[in-house]
Amino acid sequence: MNVGTQSRMAAIYTETSRVLFALLIALSLAFVVILIISEDPGAAIKALLKGPLSSTRTVGLWIDEAAKLTMAGLAFALVFQARQFSMGAQGQVLIGGFFAGAVALSPLGATWVGMPLAVLAAMITGAAYGFIPGYAKAKLGANEIVSSLMLNYIALNAVSYFVKAFYAPRGELKSAQFPPTSSFPALIPNTRIDLGLIIAVLSVIGVWFALYRTSWGLKLRLVGHNPQFARYSGIKANFIMVSAMTTSGAIAGLLGAMIVQGKAFGNLAVAFEGYLSFEGILIAIVARNHPIAVPFVAFFYGYLRQGAALMGIRTDVPTEVVAVVQAIIILLAASSFSVPGKKLVRKLFNRSETNGSKIASEGQQK
Amino acid sequence: MTELFWTVFSSAFFVTVIRTSTPLLLATLGGLISDLAGALNVALEGMMLISCLTAVIVSVYSPWYVGVLAGILAGALLGAVIALFHLRLKADIILVGFAINILAAGGTVFALSLATGGDKGTSVNLASKAVPSVDLSFLAAVPGVGQTLSDLLSGHSILSWLTALLVFVIWYVLYHTPRGLWLRGVGEYPAAAAAAGIPVRKVLLWSLVASGALAGLGGAQLAMFNYIGFTTDMTAGRGFIALGAVLLGARHPVGGMFAALLFGFFEALSIVIPNMFQFIPAELINSIPFIVTILALFLFSCRALSLKKVRAAQ
Repeated sequence: MNVGTQSRMAAIYTETSRVLFALLIALSLAFVVILIISEDPGAAIKALLKGPLSSTRTVGLWIDEAAKLTMAGLAFALVFQARQFSMGAQGQVLIGGFFAGAVALSPLGATWVGMPLAVLAAMITGAAYGFIPGYAKAKLGANEIVSSLMLNYIALNAVSYFVKAFYAPRGELKSAQFPPTSSFPALIPNTRIDLGLIIAVLSVIGVWFALYRTSWGLKLRLVGHNPQFARYSGIKANFIMVSAMTTSGAIAGLLGAMIVQGKAFGNLAVAFEGYLSFEGILIAIVARNHPIAVPFVAFFYGYLRQGAALMGIRTDVPTEVVAVVQAIIILLAASSFSVPGKKLVRKLFNRSETNGSKIASEGQQK
Repeated sequence: MTELFWTVFSSAFFVTVIRTSTPLLLATLGGLISDLAGALNVALEGMMLISCLTAVIVSVYSPWYVGVLAGILAGALLGAVIALFHLRLKADIILVGFAINILAAGGTVFALSLATGGDKGTSVNLASKAVPSVDLSFLAAVPGVGQTLSDLLSGHSILSWLTALLVFVIWYVLYHTPRGLWLRGVGEYPAAAAAAGIPVRKVLLWSLVASGALAGLGGAQLAMFNYIGFTTDMTAGRGFIALGAVLLGARHPVGGMFAALLFGFFEALSIVIPNMFQFIPAELINSIPFIVTILALFLFSCRALSLKKVRAAQ
């Protein structure tokens, strides 16, 4: 192994141990809360930890959620890498999903172009919605956090209105099912695992390639690391900023298409987004904004979310207890601390210290 | 349309505007203090929401002012938490702020369902108390303008009056006391402030605590006067609108007050419009505060930017 790989392995090792430590603290706190409030804490904890594996259906729910969380994480990771705190993923998902649904329910949706066209429409409209706060920041100096959050609320209201007014039958909150030519086929029958999973995997590769193998990605990361240096070296920071937010919008729009066209919905419903997008913040932070780490985090976090949902259904502990876990994970993952007791552990295992940890500790010093 | 015109110029509408503006203004003042100290507090929304619930639950078992104090305390505590993670553990303040918002969104539902015994929507079955309103009807005795005066000034929450006072106090502290100078110095250029012997971290800590306390007071007003009781996500983006109001008010307490009044005006409009024009969809009316905020932000940023350019050219 060369030095680069060694130090990278060491970084992965320290990051993983930090995240696991954060998860440990967060989960123990959740267990304490469950112990206090539940009549049957054993059942609640069992549902939380083992629930998602209880049937093929729940495993499908978990994998489907992980794919969607991956997309949300990618959307945030991309803007966070450029150090833009655009929080507009929610609005972009809603707008993208709405236009995907509009295409799917139009006459075109019943033909073979329906699916690709709907996905494309979602990406374009999502990108356009992500472009607005970026452009306003570049040209007007408008704070992107505030403007993107306002756009979220506007999208929530607008999509809810248009779905109710034009697509849902009177008094209902969702449209008719999309024609099969416009909905994603299931990869595994009778589960929610559908084409979205493949889209998520391709998106991870695409974002990784764009960030780490193109000059645009290098510039974007430079702008994020040191904006002043980027400006002095002649990088058009404004262009990078706007394009990062627009690309992130396209990813979020794609997520919108995945949600409405996937097995979970297959129709246009009011508030289909279900506050999933904001989970991308947690995923991006824990993954340290690295696209390759995003799906792994989404995988574990999706499990936790499914477990919490099943706990809410099957036991007396409300699902929302997981908010405590979320907040603590974000707080700890975003802060810099070293895992306590590391020295102690090293002392304990001093005699049988493995090669791996030696490399890790050497790598850290470099 | 004439009906709307007369409503807007009625004294009852004025009272509504003050009512809707008060929580916004308190959050704006909170955002202003931390912003001037150089720490963008994006957690105003979450702080308000948690304070709403705290105030409601505490007021069930105690007098109303204890409920308000509990709301303030909850906000201040969250400010201290942000300071702890931002200053001591070196976390990015925006990420910490969003962690608080996420905690608030889920945590309040969780706590509400515990407090009400399973209800995840509202606290209707809790007998929470209200902040009393101030009755100034004796002003009607003033000859000539008496009746108008009494109509305009009666019926405001005690906290609204307190807020008006706070705008003045905060302005005075920020611009006419050494502590205010410290705070602005830290926000302007921390390294210079540190070199001048100002305890930068302490200033940041206390400005975040003050920011949280003000947002908490806003939450208490929202849940104990504007609405009596707690409903899920009752702040509905007010904390984020307040962030916009800080910028729109040119980072000045009096400017912030006018910005909050502007947003409060549109929120009050969204309360009266549905009764008059039933054909306007509720979603459009609900979006009014957000559309106004984003437009105001764009226009104001545009102006601020061109002013900067003019100054640079000179």
